[in-house]
Amino acid sequence: MQKQITEANLRLLIDSLLLKGQRVVGPRQSGTMVLYEPLASASDLVTDELPRRSIKEAFFPVCEDLLEYRKEGQQIELKDIDPDRFPETVLIGVRPCDAAAVPVLDAVFSWDYQDQFFLARRAKTTIIGMACTTADDACFCTAVGLSPNDPKGSDLLLTPLVGGGFLVESQSEKGEAFLATWQDRFSEPDGSQTQALATPALQPLDLKKIKAWLDDHFEDPAWDSIAVRCVGCGACAFVCPACHCFDIVDEGSEKAGKRRKFWDACGFSKFTNHASGHNPRDLQPKRYRNRIMHKFKYYDDKFGQTLCTGCGRCIRVCPVGIDIAGVLEEIQGK
Amino acid sequence: MTQTIDISSYSAITDAIRNEARRILSDSTVSAVIGYTAGRRKGSTQPIVITTADDADQLIFSAACLNDLVVYLTKAKKDVPKGGRIGIVVKGCDLKALVGLLGESQLKRENLYLIGIPCSGVLGSLLKPAAELTTETIASKCCECTDQLPVGCDFVPTVTPTPLPDLEKRYANEIARLEAMNPSERWEFWKEQFSKCIKCYACRQVCPFCFCEQCLCDRNRPQMVEQTPRPLGNTAWHLMRAMHLAGRCAGCGECERVCPMDIPLNLLNRKMAKELKELFNSEAGFEVREAGPLTSYREDDDQSFIR
Repeated sequence: MQKQITEANLRLLIDSLLLKGQRVVGPRQSGTMVLYEPLASASDLVTDELPRRSIKEAFFPVCEDLLEYRKEGQQIELKDIDPDRFPETVLIGVRPCDAAAVPVLDAVFSWDYQDQFFLARRAKTTIIGMACTTADDACFCTAVGLSPNDPKGSDLLLTPLVGGGFLVESQSEKGEAFLATWQDRFSEPDGSQTQALATPALQPLDLKKIKAWLDDHFEDPAWDSIAVRCVGCGACAFVCPACHCFDIVDEGSEKAGKRRKFWDACGFSKFTNHASGHNPRDLQPKRYRNRIMHKFKYYDDKFGQTLCTGCGRCIRVCPVGIDIAGVLEEIQGK
Repeated sequence: MTQTIDISSYSAITDAIRNEARRILSDSTVSAVIGYTAGRRKGSTQPIVITTADDADQLIFSAACLNDLVVYLTKAKKDVPKGGRIGIVVKGCDLKALVGLLGESQLKRENLYLIGIPCSGVLGSLLKPAAELTTETIASKCCECTDQLPVGCDFVPTVTPTPLPDLEKRYANEIARLEAMNPSERWEFWKEQFSKCIKCYACRQVCPFCFCEQCLCDRNRPQMVEQTPRPLGNTAWHLMRAMHLAGRCAGCGECERVCPMDIPLNLLNRKMAKELKELFNSEAGFEVREAGPLTSYREDDDQSFIR
């Protein structure tokens, strides 16, 4: 279904949601950065900047409690976290490269094990995406088969119109339901032109060809030259909308504490450290190889998708200037 | 008013480092040269390790050459070629870190061939690598730099660095602002900063002095510091690191530059450096010292804290 909404009505809609006690999360200024955070009012919404971190944390927080324990004598008391406590949430102003990562995460969090923490939040969230009209030279969604107005992952997609306001397209039942609930704020499309979309500079990559090379080149000298500069931090994985590795740890004392799930990264030297002390990925090029393999081969093998949406965040934050798009171009050229 | 900073010398520096790298690789003075090369995006750069004279033309120097390449010499980066003598491109700030590592017996001078940069300043951030170098975009560390011309290198291009204009001393001013706060205000400031940390450890991984093979933060048998990115563990991590760097940090500012969450980490290090200067008249420099201010005892050391 297609509708239209004015900028003023969009802001009114956000304020109405907030008045109803609805949790609304969108890009907002947070100190020196723009981050996806709960909005306190419609005026908080920032629509012209890609947030520093991705939307994945709406479902997969940086750190969350899984259970609490308390021990007294021989008595051990365990307390589960109630997934019902996760609030209904509307995500608004989500960039298509972020929204497109959500179905990618769905696949992995509901595959053999149903991750209730991820899935409960996911079920209670409506995603309102917003098409991009500007891109910087790190953006490369179009190179990995997406686009600045890709509807993947969005329940509703907003595309800016030439005279102001947005074209609204529903992409799911959740989207339809949202339009029905708030129908007064929307109007029928009046045929206004949508604004010109962003045009990321990188040419489309041949992901099949890249995967074919990866299939045959687990061992290759290229990994050393590509990754020798990698210093082994987790910045790329942590800002990535699709990276989803985590660790679990018990914190507290012998008497009481919490079990927590928190982000982990394949760039870390301890990521594959075995209890024996042996580490199969003992050098950084092997760890970086895993990053590329997981995104463009393993995930594809298993789920038929690529684990990268071309948001370019890893390119922007890498301390040593590793440019995943450049790495892919290099592999494609082999 | 924003002023452009003259970096026209950087093309002559680029030529000079290419020539020198070519020479030392062809006559086998070194087995590899660690330097900077251009990245795919306009203006961007990345570290590179070259091992043949033919690759010397890949080297560049520009205002986007921010990395402290000295990190690649440490045992934390054991995959960089270690055979024979290695050439490395260093700015003054980077050289001070290298000198610190010499003092800590982490490196041997005779295994290194130092190519020094007469530096006129670099950008503060690589979010816009093609940005012009101005009094606004210049790195905060450059605003207080007294080491534009490295001393004690094997080769320095014969170029005079542009004298820096009178720049706002951003760290000094911010430290003064924090010092003027009462302890609870200051605690609030740092609590907020540390709450942003996501434990990506970019700060640790780029730091030349974070060469511990087993970081205390990675220990889990037993766990010494909460691993999770929460206020307690974040605060413990950043304060522990600041203390561990006190008297060692050379001020390259890489920890702060690479932090994806904009935590002003170098402020902690600058504050420690200021204390060290005041208490022990000690600061990072170009001269190798065998013992740092906190690892040696002198009779005239400040003892006012003993009561």
